[in-house]
Amino acid sequence: MSTRLSTLGLVVAALVLALVPALKLPAFYESFLYLVFFWISLATSWNILSGYAGYFSFGHAAFFGAGVYTTATLTTAFNVPFLLSLPAAGLVAALLGSVIAAVVFRVRGVRGELFGLLTLAVTFVLSTIALNTRLDGGPGVFLAAVPVPTLLGAPATTLYHLALAVAFLAMFAALAIYRSRWGMGLFAIRDDEDVAEVLGVPTYRYKLVAFALSCFIAGLIGGIHAMFVTYVTVAEIFAVGLAVDAIMMAALGGTRFWYGPALGAVIITTLTQSLTGGESAVLNRALIGAVLIAVIVFLPNGVAGGLQRRFRRAAHASVSIVAAIEAPPSPAREASAPLLGCVDVKKAFRGLQALAGVTLEVRAGEILGLIGPNGSGKSTLINVVSGYYRVDGGRIVLDGRDIARVRAHRIAGLGLARTYQIPRSFHRLSVLDNVALAAMFGGDHGRAAGRSLARSWLAFTGLEARADALPGELNLLERKFLDLARALASEPRLVLLDEVLSGLTPAQMTDALRLVRRIRDRGTTVVFVEHIMRAVLDLADRVVVLSGGQVIAEGLPRQVMRDPDVVRAYLGKAYA
Amino acid sequence: MLEVERLEVAHGDAVAVWDVSLSVRPRELVTVVGPNGAGKTTLIDAIAGLLPPRAGTIRLDGRDLASVPPHELCGQGIALVPEGRRLFPTMTVEENLEIGCYAPAARRRRAQSLERVYAMFPVLRERRRAAAGALSGGQQQMVAIGRALMAMPRLLLLDEPSLGLAPAIVDQVFEVVAGIHADGVAVLLVEQNIVQAFAIAARAYVLEQGRIVAEGTPSELARDARIREAYLGQQ
Amino acid sequence: MLAGLFTGGLYALLGLGLSLTWGLLRVINLANFALAFLGAYLTYQLATALGLDPMLTLVVIVPAFFLVGIVLEEGFLRLRIDELTSLIVTFGLTVILESLIQWIWTADFRRLESPYARVSLRLGPLFVGLGGLLAFVAAALLTLATWAWLRWSYLGKAARASAQDGPMAGAFGVNRRRLALLLAGLSSAYAAVAGLFIALNHTLAPSQIYSWIGVVFAAVIIGRLGNALGLLAASVFIAASEALTMAVTAPGWAPLVSFTLLIVILLLRPEL
Repeated sequence: MSTRLSTLGLVVAALVLALVPALKLPAFYESFLYLVFFWISLATSWNILSGYAGYFSFGHAAFFGAGVYTTATLTTAFNVPFLLSLPAAGLVAALLGSVIAAVVFRVRGVRGELFGLLTLAVTFVLSTIALNTRLDGGPGVFLAAVPVPTLLGAPATTLYHLALAVAFLAMFAALAIYRSRWGMGLFAIRDDEDVAEVLGVPTYRYKLVAFALSCFIAGLIGGIHAMFVTYVTVAEIFAVGLAVDAIMMAALGGTRFWYGPALGAVIITTLTQSLTGGESAVLNRALIGAVLIAVIVFLPNGVAGGLQRRFRRAAHASVSIVAAIEAPPSPAREASAPLLGCVDVKKAFRGLQALAGVTLEVRAGEILGLIGPNGSGKSTLINVVSGYYRVDGGRIVLDGRDIARVRAHRIAGLGLARTYQIPRSFHRLSVLDNVALAAMFGGDHGRAAGRSLARSWLAFTGLEARADALPGELNLLERKFLDLARALASEPRLVLLDEVLSGLTPAQMTDALRLVRRIRDRGTTVVFVEHIMRAVLDLADRVVVLSGGQVIAEGLPRQVMRDPDVVRAYLGKAYA
Repeated sequence: MLEVERLEVAHGDAVAVWDVSLSVRPRELVTVVGPNGAGKTTLIDAIAGLLPPRAGTIRLDGRDLASVPPHELCGQGIALVPEGRRLFPTMTVEENLEIGCYAPAARRRRAQSLERVYAMFPVLRERRRAAAGALSGGQQQMVAIGRALMAMPRLLLLDEPSLGLAPAIVDQVFEVVAGIHADGVAVLLVEQNIVQAFAIAARAYVLEQGRIVAEGTPSELARDARIREAYLGQQ
Repeated sequence: MLAGLFTGGLYALLGLGLSLTWGLLRVINLANFALAFLGAYLTYQLATALGLDPMLTLVVIVPAFFLVGIVLEEGFLRLRIDELTSLIVTFGLTVILESLIQWIWTADFRRLESPYARVSLRLGPLFVGLGGLLAFVAAALLTLATWAWLRWSYLGKAARASAQDGPMAGAFGVNRRRLALLLAGLSSAYAAVAGLFIALNHTLAPSQIYSWIGVVFAAVIIGRLGNALGLLAASVFIAASEALTMAVTAPGWAPLVSFTLLIVILLLRPEL
């Protein structure tokens, strides 16, 4: 569904629901809907960081509580008008969240379960503080005496409308982020934060703002809720169960969808209401726990995910990669000017000299094969050139610029891209989005531009029929091509291919070789590491042989393979 | 003793080994050589039970190993020295060795086996209480071999023992392997380094892109054009 | 202050099972606390209804919980649940168990009447509650035994090896599945023991389950996963700090200590 349609749908729904009080239905319905809005706000706001980026927070209650107590304190102790206290509630919660996030996200090791525990601890800390200071002090805070403005009817109606506003604010925010560059970055972070960072996604900033927004909304609804219940105690407000419920609703609905949490909130709230009464209330909690377990285990993508799978067009059987658009004839190449040069590059690991002074050059527009026996330093050289490792000595010059000490994500921006031996795609983003992400963050384009660029790259690699599929549905050759398309999307001048042919059948290999040639014909220089010698002989313009961390031969493929030094390196003296 | 017939092993949908048949007779040292990426580690992992084959059979003394659960293979007399050594890094050298004889039959001879290993690798006796992860590459290789020996195997599987080691250490390692073979243990050695492997092997197979392309004794295979082809491409 | 020290024993008892499964099986069993409380309530029930010495209830409860642990781990293995998912699933289990407890025993406070609660021993110039002392002794014995078992026994070494490189441990004969079930059963048995001492020393209420979570997690992490002695040391340290805080300021601030410590530790040493 397009963004415009969704937005329209939301606006219409909001307007319709806003009119409900005018129907003068029994009070039960307004209370029920209030609860629905309450949980939609909490679940959706939780999802903005935790669902999208995968950092599961168990401390949503803390920020909700911050909002509650901000309003409670401001209205009772300082006589601030209720409506004015609300933005304050949101801001206090957001500020709290930002400070915590600013510190926590700086630490590299804190992912998944550690973040969950940390946020859980925050809840306990805040509740202890509230309990022991004048914020609550033990007996709780009474707000019955605080006047609630009667804009559109009874005070209860005002609260109803406020909650409605926050719920839809949350959903609009979720939708907007979902469709934006920011959202795609968050999803990439969830799948593979390291690769996302290498592709240029500003992970720290994205997570921080997402968390702050999430807390802001929680604080807002907290402030409103304070007035709804009129009597707040630490035990009820900072209850860990609140976080659990929100997580469960989001998980039930589907954390990867903007409307997932809202869907889950509606389902659970409805279920809970229909199971009210005495004993059932207690067992009701048990049921919720059971639902949470069942959902997280069997429906990893929630109800929304299940629905989406039904309605999606069935993935076709793998379409053979057709020789797509033939590249336009390349402009006359400059007579092999050097594009990349390594001068006496050295790299050692714990006593083992992996690179012992490598000097070679890569000429613009050529396909250079990099070969050598195992342990000769080929992978190390690739890793050093792409910035994954720092060199111990020597220079690496790309287009006249020494990049020996430049960091990996900057090198990508300088026109150099690489693929990995085992393709590392974002497995929950579609094929199209995988490539679009690289185009957006590598080439600094907006979301729409990124996607259309991605389409043309998919066409180039013959994958356009699979644009909406998930990487897991592709076969090995297609996944390698996806990796290639992603590498090409940042428009590099030089692309490093690390054993791109490994694992392919001979027929698939032919397709792959053809694609590599088309890449070069388009004007990109290619350096590829390979073990399959027939392929090297077939594809390479020139070959460089490494052995023992040094270059022992270079030149035309067939000549090099007959060079006695090379034969000796591979097979020993007997064969030379 | 070991009979592999028409083995096919895949990683996901990438078939790494197909239609491979080989055999190892009792007390024989057989080597499988081939260039990098040929599928050698996949082959050994399948024989050691770490990777389930897609097709084909592996028989030890006539018994089909597919019916044996992975953790009982050690009891059948097979021990693995894996690629990259894969020691338990925070456990001590001695503890690593002790895990080697975890299987009940081997555990009874623990003290003797330990003595044997320390006699073979005196430096390990000195460093028995050191964390295995802190040792040098060559020393770790010794621990890995020692660990496998503790299992009192009848068939020793070695996966690229020369990987990442300095040439001098590689010589030592191969001396040790030859010595173990001399003691009566059958050995299946997978290696990229032809020189060392051919020096100690009775028979050899050449693996290229998942298939056996040549087999014979080292002297038969010496200067064989197919080996040059496998490693260096068509001439 | 000494009483505070002995509270550390209870923390260690609660944390032992958690530390084991997290360190060796990569399962974060949040439900350990709910299980312990279930054990506590069962102890209360059996001791009160049958007039037994609470210690005797262990005979029934421990084996039962051992089985429960095995069943749970079997579920985890079959469903291939990873670390983060295990946190959420056991959160769900906690909710289920809490509801169960509340349904059977209601939210009313329950206190087990036993001689242990009433007797105080004289240790030099101080009086120490017998219940608290026993909890500490039990904790010390169990952590020491566990640590020694992991360190010196073959099974313990196999457990440690399996946690570092599962397939290789298996290649040398370690039956990883059986080992995992054994460890899980053991953890639940530990939870049962913790439950006994909770029943002896504290008033029971379903909401109490959550009050222990933060402290114990802090102790488990500070003491390093899978390290029983470390857990004991960390538990005692935290309890002592809490006691100190309580003596110096108002009692309500005590929980802040452990949680703040936890946050600090998680930030400084995220590699567990």
